[in-house]
Amino acid sequence: MLEIKNLKASIDGKSILNGIDLSVSAGEVHAIMGPNGSGKSTLAQVIAGHSDYEVTDGSVSFLGEDLLQLEPEERARLGFFLGFQYPVEIPGVNNAYLLKAALNAKRKFQGETEIDAFEFLKLAKEKMKLLDMDTSFLNRGVNEGFSGGEKKRNEILQMAVLEPKLAMLDETDSGLDIDALKSVAKGINALRSDDRAIVLITHYQRLLDYVQPDFVHVLSGGRIVRSGDKSLALELEEKGYDWLQEAAIA
Amino acid sequence: MTNAAFNLVLFDHAVSAMPVDVLSELRKTAAARFTESGFPTTRHEDWRYTNMARAISLSNDWLANADVSPHPTTGPARSIQSAIDAHWIVIRNGGIESDDLSLPSGVSASLLSDNDSAASFEQIAIDDPLAQLNAALLIDGLKVSIAPGSIVDKPIGFLIDDYAGGDAVVAQSRVLIDVQAGATVQFIEAHISTGDGEHYANNVVQIDLQKNTTVDYLRIQQRARHHINTNNLLVELAAGATFRHCAFDFGGALIRNDITARMQGRNSNVEMNGLYLAGDQQHIDNHTRVDHLVGPSNSNEEYRGILNGKSRCVFNGKAIVHRGADETDANQQNHNLLLSKEAEIDTKPELEIYADEVKCSHGATVGQLDETALFYLRTRGLDLDEATRLITRAFAAKILSLLTVDAAHEYVSGAIDERLDDLIGGSGDE
Repeated sequence: MLEIKNLKASIDGKSILNGIDLSVSAGEVHAIMGPNGSGKSTLAQVIAGHSDYEVTDGSVSFLGEDLLQLEPEERARLGFFLGFQYPVEIPGVNNAYLLKAALNAKRKFQGETEIDAFEFLKLAKEKMKLLDMDTSFLNRGVNEGFSGGEKKRNEILQMAVLEPKLAMLDETDSGLDIDALKSVAKGINALRSDDRAIVLITHYQRLLDYVQPDFVHVLSGGRIVRSGDKSLALELEEKGYDWLQEAAIA
Repeated sequence: MTNAAFNLVLFDHAVSAMPVDVLSELRKTAAARFTESGFPTTRHEDWRYTNMARAISLSNDWLANADVSPHPTTGPARSIQSAIDAHWIVIRNGGIESDDLSLPSGVSASLLSDNDSAASFEQIAIDDPLAQLNAALLIDGLKVSIAPGSIVDKPIGFLIDDYAGGDAVVAQSRVLIDVQAGATVQFIEAHISTGDGEHYANNVVQIDLQKNTTVDYLRIQQRARHHINTNNLLVELAAGATFRHCAFDFGGALIRNDITARMQGRNSNVEMNGLYLAGDQQHIDNHTRVDHLVGPSNSNEEYRGILNGKSRCVFNGKAIVHRGADETDANQQNHNLLLSKEAEIDTKPELEIYADEVKCSHGATVGQLDETALFYLRTRGLDLDEATRLITRAFAAKILSLLTVDAAHEYVSGAIDERLDDLIGGSGDE
């Protein structure tokens, strides 16, 4: 589904990604872990199409398409979803309006008819229930005045409504209390299916207690320095990242 | 820049050719004053950014034509008349369509050329060059009175529907409004202009709010993009009066709005809000002034602008708290969103305080579209135009939420969408 080959990217002339290789197939859950500054968030932003980053080498194919040639919105409509580490507050833009516009943009791209207001509301409420979210969220400005946990839940709500083929969740677990973490994990698990892939980007293995990954990769210095199964996450939790960084340099 | 001088010989000629009626003396007095002052120039501090050269040359062209009488006062009904449920009075090129002034109880309207109205015209004449020009060349004006204690069922609308087919046209309109004690009423001043010719409309509205009155006032301006319009609004407030003003400027090549609110009575309130959406080479200038003459009195002002292309906008909001106007509360805000590098806003909220115990604040911001927000929306599948529209719409919605003339809400909302579509690359006119 997603094939990343030798991906190199820089920002303001500073190289951040130094040759990433990653293959994600439908039905899989991957976790990308790594210390601060290792390039985790950059990877997510590059895949989503942020124009501040310059791709200097390598390729990314998604569902057979050359992802790097597509605008951010085209990537989204094709079925890629990025859960932001810092979801953006957009005062005055109604949360429900954005959800519906996003869903309809995707449906239109896929040749489906636009969803009507009644069907949309039904769908949104059903997804909100799953995430233990109050329906009053729908009428608020996008992330406007939301707490950290509310913002993350809102990301998962968007994901649940949009039902992407590939969801990349950037530090969705950071800043969550245990109840919020459980709700978010419930939302992610509900989306697990054979035709969908999920990539969790996380600093800690805490989320992985609730969402069990099939593969764990460690990013360091803009490269994947080790891959393994979920036991690698536990090892990292125990030993920290230093030993891997040292191993990478050696 | 060499500006064409205003042709005073032709002006004198035009003034002397005006109808002989009860307004004659007033026209002559105003003409003499305007002859002295002339059009404001960029040397005047209040006109630094707004150049009237085009209005002057257009006026000269118009004066050079022998016929300065108003065009026939008939024309097609406009969509706004059916979209907003109001008592509409139509003014075309300064001519008042007065045959059918069917107004509800408590509301009376008459022409200024009627004897009774002339006196009040003199009483509250505005000492402003463009208001003098207006008086000097005014064919006739309208006076509207609201009887004491009336609660008017629906808004009273003035549709200023101007037209210039070929030759340049200059039109003056003047409306005097007398809101008597305890009355509650809403007004809509809607500007439309059409035709390929050049047009300059110079309008004056004076409103007298007597004790304990409440007036909601909407001005929506959707003029043709090559036309010029200047507006003077003077509001006097007695004790306990509340004036809530909301203005929307979408059209015109050069627009200048001057508003002065004089708070003469204790416990009076002024809300003054506005939205300007400008593209191309549009020039929209809002100058507002609130005089707190006594306290306690409250004023609240928020203007917002979205600018694209090479447009230039000006905001100057002045709040003056006069000596003795204690316990005054004055707040002014001006926020701007610049969508292009070539657009320009000159903003200046000003406070002058000569009293104690006042609470005053002001602020101005100028910003670009939030790139982070745009990217976020695009990762959700919205294209750049949609994302831009969504963010700008939200920015503009704040002013719409302050509009208190409910009957017009839907129309204004639609007009904002339409203008934003245009501005953000819908029709390609930018």
